[in-house]
Amino acid sequence: MNTVEITLPSKKYKRRMTIFSVSALVVAVACIYMNFNPLGFFTEFHFVRDLLGEMFMPNYRMLADNPSIAYSILQTLSMAFLGTVYGGIIAVILAFLAALNTMPYRVVRVLTSITLSLLRVIPVLVVILIFVIAVGPGVFAGMLTLVITTIGTFGKLFAEIIENTENPPGEAIYSVGASRLQVIRFSIIPQILPSLIANLLYAFDVNIRTAIGLGIFGGGGIGFQLQMAKSVLHYKDVTALISIIIVLVILAEKLSDFLRRKILGDGKLR
Amino acid sequence: MKWLEFSFKRYRKWLLPLLILAAVTEGAAIVCGATFGKLEEGLFKGISFLGFMFPPDWSAFAEMVQPAFQSIIIAFLGTVFGTLLSVIFALLAAANISNPWVRNITRLLIGLERSIPEIVILLLLIAAFGLGSMPGIIALSLGCIGMLGKLLADTIEELDPIMMESMESVGANKMQIIVFGVLPQIMPNLISYALFRFEINIRLSVILGAVGAGGVGYELDYSFGMLQYHRAFTALLVIIVMIFGTERLSYILRGKIKMEGALK
Amino acid sequence: MIEVKNLTKSLPNGRMLLDGISFKVKKGEFVGILGPSGAGKTLTLRCLNGLLKPDKGEVIIQDENGKGHDICKINKRELRRVRQRIGVIFQGYHLVKRLSALENVMIGRLGQISTARSLFYGFTDGEAAEALLALEKVKIGHLAEIKTGNLSGGEMQRVAIARAIFQLPTLLIADEPISNLDPSNAKIIMKMIKPLSATMPVVGVFHQPEMTAKYCTRVIAIKDGKVIYDGDPKLSNDMLVEIYGEELSLIEQQEHAVPAMLIN
Repeated sequence: MNTVEITLPSKKYKRRMTIFSVSALVVAVACIYMNFNPLGFFTEFHFVRDLLGEMFMPNYRMLADNPSIAYSILQTLSMAFLGTVYGGIIAVILAFLAALNTMPYRVVRVLTSITLSLLRVIPVLVVILIFVIAVGPGVFAGMLTLVITTIGTFGKLFAEIIENTENPPGEAIYSVGASRLQVIRFSIIPQILPSLIANLLYAFDVNIRTAIGLGIFGGGGIGFQLQMAKSVLHYKDVTALISIIIVLVILAEKLSDFLRRKILGDGKLR
Repeated sequence: MKWLEFSFKRYRKWLLPLLILAAVTEGAAIVCGATFGKLEEGLFKGISFLGFMFPPDWSAFAEMVQPAFQSIIIAFLGTVFGTLLSVIFALLAAANISNPWVRNITRLLIGLERSIPEIVILLLLIAAFGLGSMPGIIALSLGCIGMLGKLLADTIEELDPIMMESMESVGANKMQIIVFGVLPQIMPNLISYALFRFEINIRLSVILGAVGAGGVGYELDYSFGMLQYHRAFTALLVIIVMIFGTERLSYILRGKIKMEGALK
Repeated sequence: MIEVKNLTKSLPNGRMLLDGISFKVKKGEFVGILGPSGAGKTLTLRCLNGLLKPDKGEVIIQDENGKGHDICKINKRELRRVRQRIGVIFQGYHLVKRLSALENVMIGRLGQISTARSLFYGFTDGEAAEALLALEKVKIGHLAEIKTGNLSGGEMQRVAIARAIFQLPTLLIADEPISNLDPSNAKIIMKMIKPLSATMPVVGVFHQPEMTAKYCTRVIAIKDGKVIYDGDPKLSNDMLVEIYGEELSLIEQQEHAVPAMLIN
């Protein structure tokens, strides 16, 4: 008496169970392959408990005892800041070279686009390892890495932002006989500046996090201190450093949010 | 010099910020030992070293396939378990599902997790469990909570409140509202966020590998350590293919979901 | 049968929203509640199925066995049980947009199945067939498999009615079921609701006196939280003026004057 065909719940149930069991099977096989027991985190939780016992209370006295900690915080901040500034400048220049409406020569455009895409997929790890060998371990290597990753992450994006600008103002300026540079200055730059600034502030936020990680691979800064404290098993120092890192990251995020709001106004966040 | 005066007025409001910016840059440059000339030199050194690594050692290629596969699996498992965890956290952190106390505490935890870099979590887990893929997978799973948990909680909070009330008014309990009202509605978002996170996890799994979670990241670090730069170059190529491939895949899948989601 | 006695609700600042509302609706009656914006119509309705607790007063609802429950006093568990048999049609169409029309209808019985069963997609084939019958009763059986997000406003409201029918309710509450619809669709919906009053009391809030005059068996008018009229659905012109004031721009009346704090 049904006038329409409907998928019966029993059928739906079967289909759902099939999908569920197949995915569960895939995950299970993957777990077995990696020799990973998802419940291990809980069954072997005593390891975590032991570690937490080692870690508390955080030893903040070390900050006073070891003046290099304060300096390494400054190093991490400088590293992230310089990486953002230099990387940002280079990214903007490359973006102008890669954008359709600012670069008339196809060869240059394609070459820069390929460079940007390559930089985007090269993992941070490779970059830092290369620079550690090329210029020696330390903050400088970390900073150079951040320059490269900033270009990689934001170059392509900036090129897209430039290409998405509206053309009519440009055409109007061309029509009164302006040069290409003048069009860039008076039509394109005013249009892209807000999102450029917003993205660079975001880049600083991202770079702080990356900079901390880089320290572990020889990039210097607070990450390096953390690695040191961990390798000599001073877990109370580790806890103190982690709490500093958390504060650092939150402050950087708040600062970047604050500046973005201050420079761009509340409404123009995106 | 009339035009100069005019320009000065025009750009005056930019002057102070730019001066501050320049001063901070200078200060930071001193801390990093990186003046502009040295920057150029350093970048050039890096690129020339990359040239020195060429050509790749193709004989090592076969040894790289399995570690690369392992890295992908680590990222996959991290994303699966991380997404499950995030859904739980998101439900607890959504104002329209959980109670205010639980919500605020969960939001605090999510925010806290977001500000710890994954690599720090991994270091701690390695300290607890020793080297291996397990701390890597757990670190990636926990790393998902900060991002996915927040995004999903926000998505859940945007759901139509009267839709949920109308389910409540037929006598459904919380669990039933979640299963029949919340989950179907957030599913498209959930999947596309998870795919996006998978891309990030692939990149992270390479880095975590070098710290001790295994996989292709370890091979890379090892090759650098043993000064086998041509082998490292092979690892680099494998990593690039891996990242590029998963990125394309996730992009295509997300596009498909968007098409379907457009129908609401 | 549903009996409302002396329903009272006030804001913390002392403003009376509901001031001693009492009425009684029996099986076979289709009661339309009229009143100007902010008079307390929607609030009254929300008290009827326990979405809102009044400060004072009783709402006694007879369940399927003829036993009366005071919905303002019973505990959460019992409230859920009573609600299973109260059909509610909301203003607008608050369905789960990514589920099919059929599934949305079946959600009407969520309260009647156990949580464990509902976790495993707990509807039986028999229930699906029944739900389809309900959809056919409102003449949209052919849309059963379509996601409700893709239906038109009138169709969605019909799904909501089908859901209420499927619940086998002992009481039907409708909160402005026709206010977002065009006139011809509104008439269709009214024609569908009216016959339901043969088996259960039906209470609805409406804006349109001409609609209630045509379809309802009785009209209750509420103003400033008090019942000012209870009787024949065909209101005299004087009565209309008393309810809505001099300006009779009734069709434009919008009902959003309920303080937000009471909705949430």
